[in-house]
Amino acid sequence: MSARPHSGPNGSLIAGLGTLVLLAAWFAAVRFLHVPSYILPAPEAVVRALWSGLAVNPASSLGYYLPLWSTFSNAAVGFLLGCGLGLLLGSLMAEFITVEKLVMPYAFALQSLPKVAIAPLIVIWFGFGDGSKVAISALLAFFPILINSFTGLRSVEPEKLDLMRSLSASRLETYWLVKLPHAAPFIFAGLDMAVVYALLGAIVAEFLGAQQGMGVVITQAQAVTDVAGVFAALVILGVVGVVLHSTVRRIEHRVVHWGHRGKK
Amino acid sequence: MSDAIEAARPLIAAQALCKTYITASGASLLAVDRVGLSIGDGELVTIVGPSGCGKSTLLRMIAGLDEYSEGVLKLDGTPITGPSRDVGVVFQSANLLPWMSVRDNVALPLRVGGKHTAETGRVDRLLEMTGLGEFGGRYPYELSGGMQQRAGICRALARDPRILLMDEPFGALDALTRERMNLELQRIWQQSGKTIVLITHSISEAIFLGDRVIVMSARPGRVLRDIAVPIPRPRSLDTIIAHPAYGEIAREIRGLLNAEGTVD
Ligand SMILES: Nc1ncnc2c1ncn2[C@@H]1O[C@H](COP(=O)(O)OP(=O)(O)OP(=O)(O)O)[C@@H](O)[C@H]1O
Ligand SMILES: [Mg+2]
Repeated sequence: MSARPHSGPNGSLIAGLGTLVLLAAWFAAVRFLHVPSYILPAPEAVVRALWSGLAVNPASSLGYYLPLWSTFSNAAVGFLLGCGLGLLLGSLMAEFITVEKLVMPYAFALQSLPKVAIAPLIVIWFGFGDGSKVAISALLAFFPILINSFTGLRSVEPEKLDLMRSLSASRLETYWLVKLPHAAPFIFAGLDMAVVYALLGAIVAEFLGAQQGMGVVITQAQAVTDVAGVFAALVILGVVGVVLHSTVRRIEHRVVHWGHRGKK
Repeated sequence: MSDAIEAARPLIAAQALCKTYITASGASLLAVDRVGLSIGDGELVTIVGPSGCGKSTLLRMIAGLDEYSEGVLKLDGTPITGPSRDVGVVFQSANLLPWMSVRDNVALPLRVGGKHTAETGRVDRLLEMTGLGEFGGRYPYELSGGMQQRAGICRALARDPRILLMDEPFGALDALTRERMNLELQRIWQQSGKTIVLITHSISEAIFLGDRVIVMSARPGRVLRDIAVPIPRPRSLDTIIAHPAYGEIAREIRGLLNAEGTVD
């Protein structure tokens, strides 16, 4: 374990060096290779755009705070909704063969459909407001949880089910005490995907026309070829994505504590 | 403990017991063939037989986990139709739930299956008895294999069942730990007066622990011989080998298993 790459102080040193090299290359490309700014803006320009979006009154409509909050809150509601429904349906499918037989063909058909393609339809149904953002986020978050919870709940070792049976445990007890904890690592892997998908869903909804949100910030900057502004917004979204991802990971480490400290 | 002559009312009784599996390909497979058994209250009976001969199947039927195809199988005079609160099962692997502390694992039978029993220190007493007193708050992955197996035995004892069914409980342990577990099981059995049916691959373990050793044939499993072990208790690993009956019985069992074409 001690020789594992990409971890420990060595790993972060390498990552830091990589970032420096990347920034230097970016800087050099703009300075010395004269890449035009509508293709690749100078790092300073991006920093300036970032600063002008961040160093404002949080309540000002010029800053990132209001659009970010709009995107984030809608994505969060969609995430919770999608994950809740995904877990519910995944559980019903895992527990009841009839539900599985009924739902599985549709689930697989929808799963293989690129779901953002449904987004325009959802905008027709829900309009250009928050409803569409929530709905598309929920739709994108739904599937990884559905598939992962179903797979996890079905993969319990038969011996553990025998144990519960030998104790005359009820179906609910078996679900709650054995199946769900067993499926937890699967579900968290799904949550990890779903959290990013939910954000993606909200942005896509905003691209299709909305009053506010980071997607609107991006399309507005694009409309006036403010490439630095687009880059700055992407940086913000990237940071949000990383924070969400690592939050899920942190929660997983706390909840699925038995999965990380050696296995028996 | 005077040798049980409880034949009047056996606690576990099987007559012409058969089990036919339907395999995945649709063929039927006779796993247990007309087995007759009579196990008295307080007896410790061990079962040996070639691999795949139907020992686990027999035990699972007694545990109420598998249905039998033909014949009679009674527990205390009543036909077995499913798991009973009078029966505790110890599985081949310790089969602990990794997300629960050792104490919660042992207390599991008291929490599920209706008729909740007040704990009142029972779990701690069991842990104490098996030398796990300090480990109640630990998680299974923090325990050695032998400790996990002891926790599994504690769990099977939690409801204070009259019968303990053990399917190769020490098969995965090293020889030294195994011998210690054998001594411990003998002690638990002598203290509690429970009826124990234990499957093993080890001829020496079968003789050391058993009041009787039941030798099964290769599949389809039949009872080849039912051998009484007239060695006084408490037995110790040193004295038992010196006992004249030991070598005789070991030879007899080995001869029977050799004739079946399988030795372990
Ligand atoms: N669910 C099942 N479906 C079909 N066949 C089965 C099933 N379970 C067991 N068998 C078959 O029944 C026979 C007896 O199996 P069993 O597990 O009882 O053997 P065993 O004596 O416990 O063997 P071992 O000593 O290796 O544990 C085997 O041939 C096995 O392939
Ligand atoms: Mg077996």
